[in-house]
Parts: sequence; structure tokens; C-alpha cells
Amino acid sequence: MPGLIGADGFGAVSEAALAMDGVDGVEVLFMHDWGGLTRFAGSEIHQSTFREDTELRVRVVSKDRVGVAATNDFTRAGAARAARSAKEMAEIVAPDPLWPGLAPKAEVADVERFFASTADASPTTRAAAAEGLIGQCPVGFTAAGAYETQAVEVGVANTLGQFCWSPSTVASLTTVMSGGEQGSGFAEVFTGDADAIDAEAVGGRAAEKAVASQSPRALDAAVYPVVLEPAATATLVGFLSWVGFAGKGYVEGRSCFSGRHGQQVAAPAIQLWDDATDPGTLGASFDFEGVPRQRVDLIRNGVFLDAVYDLRTAKQGDVASTGHALPSPSPEGPFPLNVFMGTGDATVDEMIRGTERGILVTRFHYSNVVNPMESTITGMTRDGTFLIERGEVVGPVRNFRFTQSILSAFSETTMVGRDAELASEFFFSASRVPALKIEAFNFSGVSDH
Amino acid sequence: MLDVAKMAVEAARRLGADFADARAGLDETESLTVRNQQMEGIDRTTSTGVGVRVLVGGRWGFAATSRLDEAEVVRTAELAVAIAKAAQRLPGEPVTLSPVEPVVASWHGGVLEDPFLVPLEEKVALLMEATRRMQGVEGLSFSEAALDFFRRSTWFASSDGAAIDQVVTHSGGGTEAVAVGDGDVQRRSYPNSFRGHVKAAGYEHIRTLGLIEEAERIGREAVDLLHAPDCPSEVTTLILDSGQMELQVHESIGHPIELDRVLGMEEAYAGSSWLAPQDRGNVRYASDLVSITADASLPGGLGSFGYDDEGVAAQRTPIIVDGIFQNFLTNRETAPVVGQASNGTSRADGWSHLPLIRMTNISIEPKAGSLAEIIGDTKDGLFMSTNTSWSIDDKRINFQFGCETAWRVKDGKLTELYKNPNYTGLAPEFWGSCDAVGGREEWVVWGTPNCGKGQPGQVGRVGHGTSPARFRNVQVGVR
Repeated sequence: MPGLIGADGFGAVSEAALAMDGVDGVEVLFMHDWGGLTRFAGSEIHQSTFREDTELRVRVVSKDRVGVAATNDFTRAGAARAARSAKEMAEIVAPDPLWPGLAPKAEVADVERFFASTADASPTTRAAAAEGLIGQCPVGFTAAGAYETQAVEVGVANTLGQFCWSPSTVASLTTVMSGGEQGSGFAEVFTGDADAIDAEAVGGRAAEKAVASQSPRALDAAVYPVVLEPAATATLVGFLSWVGFAGKGYVEGRSCFSGRHGQQVAAPAIQLWDDATDPGTLGASFDFEGVPRQRVDLIRNGVFLDAVYDLRTAKQGDVASTGHALPSPSPEGPFPLNVFMGTGDATVDEMIRGTERGILVTRFHYSNVVNPMESTITGMTRDGTFLIERGEVVGPVRNFRFTQSILSAFSETTMVGRDAELASEFFFSASRVPALKIEAFNFSGVSDH
Repeated sequence: MLDVAKMAVEAARRLGADFADARAGLDETESLTVRNQQMEGIDRTTSTGVGVRVLVGGRWGFAATSRLDEAEVVRTAELAVAIAKAAQRLPGEPVTLSPVEPVVASWHGGVLEDPFLVPLEEKVALLMEATRRMQGVEGLSFSEAALDFFRRSTWFASSDGAAIDQVVTHSGGGTEAVAVGDGDVQRRSYPNSFRGHVKAAGYEHIRTLGLIEEAERIGREAVDLLHAPDCPSEVTTLILDSGQMELQVHESIGHPIELDRVLGMEEAYAGSSWLAPQDRGNVRYASDLVSITADASLPGGLGSFGYDDEGVAAQRTPIIVDGIFQNFLTNRETAPVVGQASNGTSRADGWSHLPLIRMTNISIEPKAGSLAEIIGDTKDGLFMSTNTSWSIDDKRINFQFGCETAWRVKDGKLTELYKNPNYTGLAPEFWGSCDAVGGREEWVVWGTPNCGKGQPGQVGRVGHGTSPARFRNVQVGVR
């Protein structure tokens, strides 16, 4: 496997860009990543890959005019060439009145996010894990999924003297088992440490769901109480981050939270925050501008407190950056990548027992925004949707389409799970979230499976 | 760079690969975004590298690196072979490739005016003026204009003896007007949403777009939407404009006809398909009016090329003929399952990814009549324009799509304006209700440069030729 280039290696190359003459400032964002993925379908390994790439993204500022050039030529010559290209752009464009300046020199939190078990995972290791998972497949079922191990080192250097570098790893194992009489089951695990993955346990969970999902019956679309498992909660949290917590929309009045600071927007049981320094999350402790990522309390006791900002939107909103910049240029603005939802004291079984008639949702699929100001999204249930009656799961149902305001759902939340999981969403990064019991959830349609 | 690809193939063969192909690549992009006459972002990127794919004992292995020295290329080939050998740990049917005649060729997509050579000053001036015109509309909050240019150079070699170099160039541009007020946000885009209209073309395409000329109109329409009522909830006749038809074809026809999805290869991620391999020639997908074609030779289409990433020549394949499903999109691995040779749809998101079945240009064949004539022929219904949102289930049946704007059609005329329109349906029923497809004069080749698929995630660049169309008994206004 490739090794880390390291802070010194990044520093030596970035100097060639930082030395650009005749400009007011230069920033170099460095990303080096490698990773393997073993993909399986029909219980066979069908696509296995490995890739390694390096990117230098150089931002040059001249009289408040900004240009950005990126290259994967990780050499001093490549860095210098990118800087010249960025300078050429900066000299042509109009000044940016919202240009906030580069990140000042600042200490960043020291977080341990790099695990050799993940960075050095071999194709054989991944194939063995796939074999262990597939071994849990019931007779007549097949497994599809992927086991991915990734390592990335990120660094930011600028002419104000800020220099930060951090390596991290991510390992994920995801599967859908299907077969029999039209039913499927899903399970996944996200972690920084590949050694922490129990492939057979992941397979076992998916198998249990798949068996229980057989021969689903059609139920009318309507408003039901729901119990959302963590993967489904993660969808709501991911989209709320997009339509609500992203600072650019917030300061421009385009967020569902614009003008609602201090207002009750959800049930008191709902706590949401973003904290890149928490051991329970993934990634670097600084953002892509080199600003230390701050803990931001987003919703506390159901009350909206704040959005997240990068340097430019912070200037726009007359606040300080919270360290949530994405790589420049970033027309969409900042985004929270390390969201947590506070846990409660209920188990999923207790949520089910407390439901007279409702729906248990394993996860959502292919969701998208319907009305951002109402935080309304639509999507489908998938891989394990069940009817609850009189406190028990009585059988699988066909997949529903939902059209639902996230904040309305959070306002109807009466129980919060006591355990949180790192769970992914199709479009967004993983968040650490628990299961939820929501008393009213709008299913607007039904599919045929 | 062709030598790099050949070096990778030769190394893989020496290391025990039964078959190998490799793609050395150079991707170049340039993007500009102006908002309210301020530069929101300008950037250029370049990326080079090589990816090598091998078959060992009937199992795939793929590895890619951005370093192109001989030692690294050989090491990468070695890793690809090791990956393929590791895959043999689990039993399964060995991969059998459909035959293809190895080609030695060079193909460059037609470009009249190299977009990377057009001065930045000219591009910035265009975007500044477009946003200035929009800003002149009272009540408008934000005006945005963007240009995007993309060029992919690929050098392909295979152990069968193929040696192909090709270049595709894409250019796109668009504007967006955003009105904010009373707790609401409304937007209008031109010529289409999500950064406009992207084509396989040079800067000459940008000169035809009319970004400045249409700026005030979309600004006014965005402001008008703020004051419009919500789209009512009802079952009605629905007319979609050409831009929304692009999304409709992409999501509810383009993806379910990918044979890898049908065979379950994408099941754990984006999902599978409601179609089965035996459905060719047997399933009614749509009304008699609907014929769909996959054409990788379509001028202007983002899915146009000389050869796919397996060295298979570009083809034109009937997908749906008079409403009856006829053919899947296939590659060399999957085509034998349906007793065919590859129809040339295997493409990768650059040098660092494994090729997958991707849409080429999936288009609805034009029929007759203009949009105005379709509207004029409609007694009561809604006309929706420009996509904002899309969601569809894992088998590509139940969908719900949103548009920027809708107008009531009453006795052949557009009347009341509605905001936040959306509609939902089940794909075969919806397409079965199609009773009008516009003619060639309304047929536009759109580009979708952001189609996601595969793990690790890949972004595909695909095209769709579409006309406006009409559908009956559609549920609109879902809440």
C-alpha cells in the first residue's frame, strides 16, 4: 500500500506555490488519498478496485480578486504551475467584496483518526470479510454490497503562516441481502478502524431483515407513527444540514432556520451539534481553508441556535468562521460534516412496544428536497419496512414514498434511542444518530415491492 | 500517453493476467460562477493518471495511479492482478467477454472554438452582463450565471491489440434568478437548471445560448413565483417541457435499462431495475407514441464518443420501439447474458475508475407538433417547466419529480401561474399515459453531466434528446 506523504513532504511541495511573487496571498490545499473497494453482488465478488491520487488546490489572492487552480501533479513544478494559473485568473476577475482574507495562523486540535488496519488493508483482507458476510446469507438469498477502506491525508498551508496537516481513515461495509418472495434486508457499519468491523455480524443483521421482509403486503399511503432506525434518521439529519445548517443559505434568508434563532423548531428531545474533534466521528479537525473546526450547537432542546460558516459567509453574516469550509471555490458555501444527534433512553424494542399502529423503517432511499423553506423532502423506504400493530412487528409492507417536513417530524418526536450509530446518507457524509419514534409521518405513495 | 497504457497492459500480462486493458487519461476543467456581478468562483483543474483492468481466472481486478513512471505503472498492474486473484476467494461464474475487433484509431469530438482558448475576460464579461440584466428586475434577490468547460483525453490499449486515442470536449452555461421573501424562496433557471445547458461542443455553443437576452425574463418569472399560489393537488393532464423531459427520460428509462442494474450488480447502492433479462421484446414500457433510442454518435450529446472505455465503437441502439421494450444498455461482460455483443456503453469517470455501463445519449424520438400546439390541444391540465428535484425508488418505478414552475392550461391557453409544482407516478403507467410527443422543431439535446453510479462513486456525463410531451391522469401537487 502507498504510505503517507506527511507534513514535511506536503510542506516542501507547497512552498513552491506559496513563493508566488506579486500577489497578496496564497493558500495550498493538499489531499492525498488511496483506497481499495471490494464489491460483491449475487454473493460473488464482481468489482474490486484500488486507486491512489493526490491533489494540490492553489488559491491565489490579488487585490481581493481570487483564482483557484488544481492539479494532481504533486511536484514543486506542479505546485508552481497551478499557482501561476490561479494568479492569471485572479488578475482578470473583478474584486470580491466579500473576500474575507486567508485563515490566520491558529492551533488545530490533535485528533487520532489514522488506523493502519484501514490504510494497509489488502484485497485479501477485504475479500475475506466479504466471504464472512456472505456466509451469513440464508439459503435462497444472495448478498450485494461493498467493503471499502480509504486513507486520506489533508493539509492546508497559506502565506499568513497557517500550516496544518492530518491523516485519517474510513472503513465501511454495506450490504443488501435479497431473495425468496420479494424482500430484502440492509445493514452497514462505518468506522475509522477496519479491525473494528465484524463482517459476520453485519451479514447476520442483514439476513435477519431479509428473512423478515418476505412477501410484503401493500398498505395504503397515509400518515402513520414511525420508528426510524439510525440509517433512516441519518437521511433526515443530512438533508436538514443542507437546507438548514449550511451558513450561506442561512445568512441569505434561504434556510428553513433563517430568522428563527432562539425559536423552538423541534421537540425538546432533539439535540443536534457538529463536532469534528469528538472521537465518535471521522476526518480532520480543521476545514479546507485551514480554520480549526469548532463545535457548533445547532439545535439544543429543540431550539435552533446556529448554522455553520466558512470565512466568506462569516463575513457575510458578521460572525466568526466556525471552520466548516469546503474546498475552494465553494459556490454552495460551508457544510457540517460531523453532525451528532443526542441520544435518549429508549431502545428500538421499547419504541415498537409503545406503538399501537405504525411503521418500522430500516432506511430511506434516493431522497431529495421538495421545499427547502419547509424542510420538506421526499424519498422511499427500502430494505426492511414493517407494520407495527399493538406493540409488535406483525409483518413486512411494500415500500412507501414519503413527503415530509423534517422539522415537523422532529417536532413530533416522542422517543429517542439510547444508542447512536455512525450512519451514512446517499448524498452526504455520515452522521452519528440514534433511532427515533415520530408520532406522525406522511407517507404519500406506495411502490409495487 | 498511449505508451503508458501499453506499458500497463504489457506488465499485467507478464504478471499473469489473462486479459488486460488500460486507460491513460488527462481531464481538464474550467468553471466560472458570477453572482450579483461578483465573482463567486473561478477555477481550473487538471488530472492525469492511468488505470489498468485485468481478468485473472475470470475475475476482475482494477488499480489506478496518478504517478506515471515505469516502476509505479508496473506496481499498479501488479496490484490489479493481486486484486483479481483475491476475488477468486469466493466461487462464481467466470467473466466471459463478448468479442470485439481490436481497433487502432484516433477520434476527436468536433469543436469549432476551443473553449479553453477563449479569453477569460470574455467569459467573465458575459456572466457579469447576464447577472446585471437580472439584477435590474425589481424584487429579485440573487442573480447567478455560470460557465463550465470539460475536456477528457484518453489513451486506451488492450491485450487484444486495441490502441485508441480520443478527445471529448463539453461546454455549458446557464443563469439562475432567485427571489427571496415572506419566508419563501423561488428560482427560475435558463436554459435549464443546475448550471444550464451542457453540450459536446466548443465555445460556439455558449454563443448560441442567449444568456443575456433571456436574463430579464427569468428574473421576472422568479419574482412572479413568489406571489403565486402553490400548485394544487389533483389528478390531471400534465405537459412537460423539453428540459423536464430530460430528467424524466434519464431517471425512469435511462437507469432501468442498464443491464448491470438488471443483473443486480448495483443493488446495494443505487438499486436494481423493474425489468428482467427476458423482458426484451415482451414488455410494454410506454404508449405507442414513445420510441427511445440510445445513440453514442448523436452530435452534441455528452454521451457521444468514438469508442467506449472497452474499445467498442459507438452505436445507435433501439431501446423502446412504439412503446415495446427492445434492448438493454450492455457492455462486454453483460451482453452475453442476453445473447448479444456489447452495444458500447462502458464508460468510466476518468482514468481512476473502473468502466461501468453508462447511458450514452438516451433520447425520445420526436413525433409531431410544437409545444404551443400541444398546449393548444389541451382542454384542462398543467404545464410544468424546468426540473428542481428528483426521487425514484430502487427499482425505478415509483417516482416524484419537482419543477420550478407550472401554469394552468385551460381551453388551450396558459392561465394561472403556480409555484412548487411536483408530480408522481409509477413509471410504466406514467409512460403508458403519454399521448403527445412534440416534433423535431422542439427536440433539444440536453446534457446531464452529474449522473451518479457505482462504488466508489462515479460521475457520468450523459445526453438526452427530448421534446415536450403530454401525459394523462397524473397526480400533481403531492404534499
